[in-house]
Amino acid sequence: MIEVSSLCKNYGDLAALSNVTFTVEKGQIVGFLGANGAGKSTTMDILCGCIGPDSGTAKISGFDITEQPIEAKKRLGYLPDVAPLHHEMIVEDFIRYVAELHKVPSHSIRVRVDATIEKLALGDVRKRLIGNLSKGYRQRVGLAQALVHDPEVLVLDEPTEGLDPTQIAEIRKLVRSLAGQHTILLSSHILSEVQNTCDKIVIINKGQIVKQGTYEQLAAAMETGHTYKLKVARNGANALTTLGRLGLQNLKAGSTDGDIEFAVSTTTGDQILDDVAKAVVDGGFGLRGLALKTRSLEDVFLQLTK
Amino acid sequence: MSSIFAIARRDLKAYFASPRASAIFWFFLIFMGFFFNNFIGMFMQMTQQAPMMGGQAPTLEQLLKALFYNLHFILLLVVPAVTMASFSEEKRNHSIRLLQTSPCTPMEIVLGKFFAAASLMALVLVASAVYPLFTVTHGNPDKMVIVTSYIGLLLLVCSQIAFGLWVSSMTSNQFMAFLFTMFGLFLLLILNWMATNLSGGGIMESVLKYLANSDHLDAFFKGTLSVGHTAYFLVFTAMFLFFTNVTLDSQRWR
Repeated sequence: MIEVSSLCKNYGDLAALSNVTFTVEKGQIVGFLGANGAGKSTTMDILCGCIGPDSGTAKISGFDITEQPIEAKKRLGYLPDVAPLHHEMIVEDFIRYVAELHKVPSHSIRVRVDATIEKLALGDVRKRLIGNLSKGYRQRVGLAQALVHDPEVLVLDEPTEGLDPTQIAEIRKLVRSLAGQHTILLSSHILSEVQNTCDKIVIINKGQIVKQGTYEQLAAAMETGHTYKLKVARNGANALTTLGRLGLQNLKAGSTDGDIEFAVSTTTGDQILDDVAKAVVDGGFGLRGLALKTRSLEDVFLQLTK
Repeated sequence: MSSIFAIARRDLKAYFASPRASAIFWFFLIFMGFFFNNFIGMFMQMTQQAPMMGGQAPTLEQLLKALFYNLHFILLLVVPAVTMASFSEEKRNHSIRLLQTSPCTPMEIVLGKFFAAASLMALVLVASAVYPLFTVTHGNPDKMVIVTSYIGLLLLVCSQIAFGLWVSSMTSNQFMAFLFTMFGLFLLLILNWMATNLSGGGIMESVLKYLANSDHLDAFFKGTLSVGHTAYFLVFTAMFLFFTNVTLDSQRWR
């Protein structure tokens, strides 16, 4: 549905993108992950025909965005990092205007506008000025703008940026509910967002694709051992020194007193866990917990973009 | 085609949603009123004095011609104010992305913007007709001269708007768009007078004089409709709309 192959873009001497290649299959939600300035927005702008690539191609449903821009754009809904809104317009009028721009047949404009307003729960504000809406509602109007012509492909550039936690949860739920009917490319620098919402993750750093795959694949690729989290009741510092004698890897204190993290490589096996537990009990530190720590996407991300 | 109208309708509404449209109507009509009031005063005075001085009394056509000439100067300030926002404001608040990602060709976007600005200015011209109509109800001017003058003014305004759109498409700063549009339009107005100094006579002078819009407009104010002068304005408009189209298209490649 979205095919990007060997995309390059330079801004003067700065190489914003070099050889970016990835695909998004029909009905998938793909997370496009990268730090600020990694090239996410540039890729998306090229994909949506706002700027042209120096070389390489981007295809939407088989239509090249440079060669057949009109056909490609008909199948595309785009929410850029700053939602493109006309603040002096009423929500309903604005959505209708976008529908007209996207050449929705005039007899179905009404139906499409009403359906979009309902889908995004904008009914309460449909007669209000966009300029007077809260940020969360504005973002939803921005999504409505991308959805009104029922595009096959949705490109969302940091859709939850600057929203409060409740609104973030709502938008995430909404994006999830769109999967299946639409093919979605979603960019973010918030890792948990991508981890929760996306089927596949593409990590970009300094204009290059570093890694792509499902979250499990990415995490597995990094896996060299297991990280455990140990919690003791008292004398965390002493416990740390005692455990130091056991020859554990990456032994370090956690964020609060009594939290200790360490890694066990797959080769040494789990025997060492017994030793750890024994050391804690014998030392009288009070064992409160010993648990396998799942590797968060954050770890994967930090390791990849180091 | 439908998207041209969608864009034009939205832009025209946007003019009226902000104080911009009313400010333009105010500015245009008040200044035209000042001129009209002034000229009527002079006209009355000269009509009374003419028999005593043994000269010809002025005609209403002369009065209207003087009024329309002065409109050209008001338009130098009004048209840039209309066109300055067309693209620059959309660029500044990022709503240009809406147009860029819609399945519309750059030409459709340019034409939409053009028709919005042209309709607004046409409405201003219609409102301004109150002054010439005043001379019709209270005197007996040649009505055809009024009609041709208005056709000339409309063509002039269209060419000015096309120029203004082109300037606006190149910047995201409204003030710069205003300034450069006004500067360009002023240059077109005074080119006629500067032609001799700039070229030192010969064929260059006639070329420069042809480029200036004042002579072409003059023909309409005299009550004549000619294909040549109409073509000047139409070609000028089409050319700058095309330039705008090229500018918009090329911005993708920067």
